[in-house]
Formats: sequence, structure tokens, C-alpha cells
Amino acid sequence: MTAILTNPLRVGLRQERVISPQCIVIFGASGDLTHRKLIPALFELFRQRRLPSEFAVLGCARRPWSDEEFREKMGAALADEIASHRTAWEQFAQGLFYEPVDLQQPDHLVRLGQRLESIDRLRATRGNRTFYLSVSPEFYGSGCRALAGAGLLADAERSRVVIEKPFGRDYASAQALNKVVQACAKESQVFRIDHYLGKETVQNILVLRFANTIFEPIWNRNYISSVQITAAETVGVEERAGYYESSGALRDMVQNHLTQILALTAMEAPGRFDPEAIRNEKAKVLQSASLANEEEPWKCCVRGQYAAGGSMARPLPGYRQEPGVNANSTTETYVAMKVAINNWRWQGVPFYLRTGKRLPKRLSEVVLTFREAPVHLFDAAGGAPTPNQLILRIQPDEGAEFKFEVKAPGSGMRSRPVDMAFSYDESFGEPSDEGYVRLLADAMLGDPTLFTRSDEVEAAWRLYTPLLALIEESPWQLPVQPYEARTWGPAAADGLLARDGLIWRRP
Amino acid sequence: MSPQLTLQAPLDLPPEEVNPYLHRLWTHDLEGSTGAATFTLVVWEPSWLEQQMVRIGRVDGPITGLLRSELLDAARQAVPETGLPYSTAPMDPRLAWAIGQKEGNHRPEDLRGQFVESAISAHMPRRLITLAPTLDPGHPLETLVAAYCPLPEEGGAGAACGDVVVLRGGMGALKQSLDLIGSLVDDTLPCWVWWNSSLDEPSEMLEALAPVPRRLVIDSSLGEPRRCLDLMLARISAGQAVNDLNWLRLRTWRESLAMVFDPPSRRDALGHVVQLDIDVEGDHPVKGLLLAAWIADRLGWHLITSYAVEVDGPGPGITAEFERTDGVAVQFTLMPVPMGAPKTHPGAIVGMRLICEPQQRPPLCVILCSESGGCMRLESGGMASMELAEGVVPLPEESEEMEMARLLSGGHDSTSPLLAAAAPLAASLLPG
Repeated sequence: MTAILTNPLRVGLRQERVISPQCIVIFGASGDLTHRKLIPALFELFRQRRLPSEFAVLGCARRPWSDEEFREKMGAALADEIASHRTAWEQFAQGLFYEPVDLQQPDHLVRLGQRLESIDRLRATRGNRTFYLSVSPEFYGSGCRALAGAGLLADAERSRVVIEKPFGRDYASAQALNKVVQACAKESQVFRIDHYLGKETVQNILVLRFANTIFEPIWNRNYISSVQITAAETVGVEERAGYYESSGALRDMVQNHLTQILALTAMEAPGRFDPEAIRNEKAKVLQSASLANEEEPWKCCVRGQYAAGGSMARPLPGYRQEPGVNANSTTETYVAMKVAINNWRWQGVPFYLRTGKRLPKRLSEVVLTFREAPVHLFDAAGGAPTPNQLILRIQPDEGAEFKFEVKAPGSGMRSRPVDMAFSYDESFGEPSDEGYVRLLADAMLGDPTLFTRSDEVEAAWRLYTPLLALIEESPWQLPVQPYEARTWGPAAADGLLARDGLIWRRP
Repeated sequence: MSPQLTLQAPLDLPPEEVNPYLHRLWTHDLEGSTGAATFTLVVWEPSWLEQQMVRIGRVDGPITGLLRSELLDAARQAVPETGLPYSTAPMDPRLAWAIGQKEGNHRPEDLRGQFVESAISAHMPRRLITLAPTLDPGHPLETLVAAYCPLPEEGGAGAACGDVVVLRGGMGALKQSLDLIGSLVDDTLPCWVWWNSSLDEPSEMLEALAPVPRRLVIDSSLGEPRRCLDLMLARISAGQAVNDLNWLRLRTWRESLAMVFDPPSRRDALGHVVQLDIDVEGDHPVKGLLLAAWIADRLGWHLITSYAVEVDGPGPGITAEFERTDGVAVQFTLMPVPMGAPKTHPGAIVGMRLICEPQQRPPLCVILCSESGGCMRLESGGMASMELAEGVVPLPEESEEMEMARLLSGGHDSTSPLLAAAAPLAASLLPG
């Protein structure tokens, strides 16, 4: 008998909330995100029977495609997936439509409204609409205005708008964008997406902390000496030079993904599992956070840029040699910083954040290092006892690991560190959904728990304002330091921790 | 969360005034408030046990329709006095009937339909219609109407309100109110019908209240087992969305068993099951059969034979043989066991055992036990050479109303595919 690959007893066990009849309208439907992430995620929801039969996707972009062309292009992008689920795709594709729309043209919006009404009649979607702005960030505000102007956001119960990252370029622009968006729709209609929050392991931070009694009593300054949050990528800038040159690692990764992980790691327990209660706590902790040295941010932050590296057999170009990148670019591809959280729980505990491209490994993790035992009673095999560490592995090899000291076998009383590990793969053996699957479903359900609220976004930008101002006004004080591709960033990043007598965890 | 009363005192109206009053309410009195575009919930709420216990003075009124702990305690105490076996669950319809033979004439206030469980009101039903049959079959029809809005802390700040209609009377009067009920159900919104009683009751009312496409909620632990399974099967076959609270209460068992086989290293054993044993409380086998049927369906077993066996217990046992996809036989036994303190509903699972014999690996024995019971029978005998995986299955602590709220939050418009697959197999497993 062949081995059973999936757990047949697990199938269908989760009683999922069912999405109301709905039309999801994707602006920027001819773009990369639509065929790489959004349509695959919606198809996955369809295959999991989590979409109602009264469901439609309306792709909108400037290109003059027909419904059939849109279906073909989406089908081509999902060819491998469709090969094994052809019947499901044929059913799903019947709900795909396309309308050429330029959001800046009022008559296009009128036509869009009429098309939506006809889809409501055809697919019985009952006027429930989720508008997904997968367009260039400079069109977020005008896109919302156009939708509101056409009356498409008027029904707060039935219309929602999902806005991709980045939400603003800095604190001021995020505030301005929030004002525009909030003038067009109620906060309850606005879903600012950060796909990191769709990851199972990011959500697991909440469960680990608040569903267990053993962690929360020690999750504070009395027991934790430092926290490291790392998001490392092995890839370079790839085809995103146009965007990346103007954003850099700070805007692309730190302000959103790493800050969200920081908030989940450091927030207080919400009173109940409720979107507003959770977002209140996240916003509060971000409002308490600051760079470790706001007056002289160059002392608590390091910027780097990858230089050529790799091996003789597979050399890797430096960032400045990548297609589309300015040969004198000062955009950071690496950033490391020390952040303080000025509240009762975390006062004095440094939080170190780092992210970079072309690092040796692709991984995201949170490392909580506990204080050392007050007295060292035993010889340590490694010379000194290793502090206890709790490592939350977000990707890959999702799971958690706890490092602690045990007696090394043999005579004498020598201690050595061991790992106690939990792996999602070993325990559950099921691949988790792609982040967009979860987040799209939540947006259509109207559940904002995993989306960032306006005050959270602003607090996150405010946190990095001194740094952004420094880079803008006197970049020479915080130059990008080159690091060889496939190394762990510039030496100065090690220095950042060395000043506190610490080292980065080498995963 | 404690149940809440409607925010205004219900108005006692003649039946013919109900529709005009509701029309006035929504067009004038509640102008500016939006009626929630959600669903209608129709509840058949006889609460026979509560009515009888209050009538004989074993619990105090008013009658609420809710399963209060003092009601369940009093019902448990009453079991021995009725001559029923100790294993009789408080919700067993035979108990309400037996108590009905006792003397008593307390006449408390009847508030059925006026308590709205917060978990249910949080889903903002557009209309909640409760049919409350009285013990007196000749009681004339009373109709009570009230508007209600969820409290702000329940997410009701948007003032999406609903209304509550209670129809109370003897069976004859309620049958005459069926036209009124039809006019109160908005066909443009989903309608759930919760048959919150035994399925042994005369079927005309159920037939009238729950035609397809209304979504039906039943409890297959209440009623004669064959009738429960046949009715469920007929409704599913007719394309109705059927939700069974007895099936939902199996959630923790299904979840616990699935958890045992989550680690990939154990998956292979699922293809090599040779024996399945399930112990249930008392003589109601439906829940145990649904559990066995779910396992058999998920693992692709084919039922060969099933028959009743006499055992030393409160009822007959069931023995069956399945055939695995590779042709190997799987033996199944369902054993009724006596319980001193049975759970609320008949036929709760006491424990289960699954024995797998994978090739070139030691046999695996999985034993899951109810949190409140013992598994001595399943733990005995011949397992020393097996890898043992044991677990305790937590008891769900949710009330009927919470289960119902969970269903409403799911919003499912079709029968769970797992239940749709398990129900016919469970019906085939039941001998006779």
C-alpha cells in the first residue's frame, strides 16, 4: 500500500467561516501581484470550498482585455496548478471578469459601477464588494477618491478596500494618505495589507504567548536580556530595481514586516481576541518604541549594500551592478538597528532588528535571549554557560526552539547547551496556506485582525522618522557600507551588538 | 456571556396584528435604524424537560428555554425516581415523558424566546421566531413581538437591529399559526430552523417549518436512533443543508484523533487499521456510529456487515466488519456502557481505541478517553507489544446556544461534506 501523504482525518475538520456572496475587484489586474499571488490565493480558497458559489473576480487595469483574455492569462500563470485541478479551474474561471478601467477617468468609474451591477445580477453577489488596490502606491489616495466619488464605497457594510504596502513613504505621507483614505471610507472598510501577518508562524507568536501560561510571566525585562528580529534574504534586488531604488530595505522590510513582528512580540495581552483589542495593543507598543538613540541615530543603526560576491563558479553581482540600479546608488540593501521600548515591561531591553538581501540564508526569526543564571555553579563545556534562548522560526523550517543547559554525560558536573525543538512540519506535516490566502479571506469576511490600522501605520513610520530624516538630510552620517554578497552584512552591524557585549545569532 | 432579555418588553398582540405592527415598527418607529440583512432564525422550543420540572416544582420558574445548570442537576436527581436506568442522560426525551407522569401544577411565567443568547445576538439575526408549545394542548395562541438591537459591546453599535417574535400555545394553536410564520420569513434572506427537541415528535410541524431550502439544525442524540438517522439522511438526500448538533459535539473527538496522526511519521499507520472500538454512554448509539462512519469514510473503508450483539450493558452492542482499500478486514465494535453520571445528551462517547498493524513496524494502539470517564475496558488486554498513543479528549463546555452561534457564524449553506458522507454509513451500521 502506498504511503499516505496527507492526514485524511484532518480534511475538512476546521469549520471555516464562510465568505458572504462577494465580488472582489482587483485594480492593477494586469500586474505581477495579481497573477503571482492574488488569483492563486483566490483559486486556493475556491478549492478549499471557502468561497461561496455567488462569487466573482473583476480584474481592472488600463489594458483593453476581454473577460476571456483575462481568464486565459490567469490560467496561463497557474498552468501547473490547473493541470491537477482542471475541473475546479473551469468552475472558478466562470467567475472571472475583466473591465478596462483607468481610475483617473470618471466615465470609467461610471462604467465600472454598471459592470458591477451586472455582475451582481449574473453571479448573485448582492452588492458585496472588496476593492483591492494592487496599483502603484502613488495611486492609493486617488484610487480611493475615485471609488468614493463614484459612490462605490458608500455602503460601509458591503464595500471594503484593501490597500497594499507601502502605505506612505514616511510619517507625513502616511498621515496624509490616511486622511485621504478616511475621508473616502470608514476605518472599518479599510484593510491595509502586510502579507507577513498572513503567515502562520507570525500569528503563532500570539498563540505561543497568550495561550500558554509558562511564557508570559517571563516575557519581560526581568527575564529577557535582549531580543533579535531577523529577516534575511538570499536573493538580490531581482527585477524590482525601479521600486527598490526609491525604497531600500528600511521602507521595504523594516517599517512594515519587521515592525509588525516587533509589535506582536512586545505587545501586552489583549483583553480578548478581538480585532480592535489586538490592534490597540499593537499600536500602543509601537507608540512606546523608539530608536535607541533618537538624537544620534547613526549610533544605533547600520546601513549596508551588497557588493559582488559568490563563488568562482557562480559569481554574484553587487547591487550597483544590478540592472536598473544607479551605479552610484546609496540605497541600503541591509539595515540593522537597535530599538528601545519605553514601557514597564521592556524598559532597558534592547530590540535588535536586521534585514538584508544577498545574505547567506533565507530566514526570518525572533530570538529572545534570557538573562544568565545569577551564579554559575557548574563548569560549562563551552567555557561559559550559554544563555537560554527561545527562537521563533518564522521561515523556513517553521517552528520554535528553546536552548537550555543540561548536564553533559560523564563524571563531573559540566553543563552544555541543548535544543528542545518544535517543528510545524514534524508535528503537523501540512503545508500552511500562503499569507495571501488567509488575508484575502479575512478581508472578504470583514475581519481586520491581521491588517494594520491607521494609527499602527503612523506609529510605525514615526518610529523610523529620525532615521529617515538623517538619510534624507545628512546621508554621510549614515553611509551605506558594502558587504560581500552571501555574508551576514557589514562588520559594523556586528559592532552594533558588540558594544552591548552581544553577538548576532548565527542561524 | 450571560443571555440577555430583549431590550423592550414584548408586546402581546393578536396574531393578525403581528405583521402590521412589524411593518409599522420598521417604517416608522425604527426609522433611521437598519434592519440587519442577515438571516431569520426559527426555533422550535418546547423545552419539555424544563416545563415538566417547573410544573412539578423541582426547579423554579420562569421557563426560559435555556439549559440551566440547576435544571440539569434536578433532572439527574429525578432519574432514579422515574425507574429509568442510571445511565439516562438528562436530555433523554424519555425522562421528560416520565416526569410528565408525576403530579404537580406550578404555573410559572413563560419567557421562552425572550432570552437571546449574546453569542447568537452578536450575529444580528434579522428575525428570531420562537415557537413555544405549552404542556396544555388546548392553550390558545399568544403572539409576542419585540424589537431588539445588540448591545454596543457585542458589536451592535451600527444599530443593525432585528426583531423577536414568540408564538406560544398548544400544539393545535401552533399548527394554525403556520401561515403566519410563513409570512414572517423573508425569502430573500437565509433561514435557519432549529429543531430544539426530540426528533420523535410528530413530524408535521418539522415538515411545515423546515422545507428546503431552509437550513435545518437538529440533534440526532434526541430521539429513537433509527428515526434520527433516517430523518437526517432523508433531509440531506433532498439537498437540504442539515446541521446536527450531535455531530458538532463530536468535534473534539475528531480533532483529537486527527492530532494523533498529524506527525507524518504516524500517517502510514492509518492505512493499516485492523480494529476500531468505541464505547458510548447508555443505549443511544448514534454519536458512536457517526464517529465510526467518519473514520471509515475518511480511510476509504467499505462496510461488509453489521449486526447487533447482546452484551452486558444498558443496551445491545453493535459489531461490524469493514474492508480496507487493500482488502484487509477491519473489525468494529460499539459497546454501550453504564454510567453513574451521564453527560447532558444521550450516547456521549466514553472512549475509543484504534489498532493499526503497519508492515515492518510494531503495531500502534491509539486510545482516546473522555475527560470525565474511564477507559478501563479499552485499556485492557494484549497491548504490551504495541506502540501506545493515549489522549484525553476535552469536554466541550459550550451550551446549545453557543453551538448554534458557532453554526451561524459559519454561515454554511450546505451540509458539511463530512457529515453528508458519514450519515449514510452510520445509518447502514445501525442494525435492523
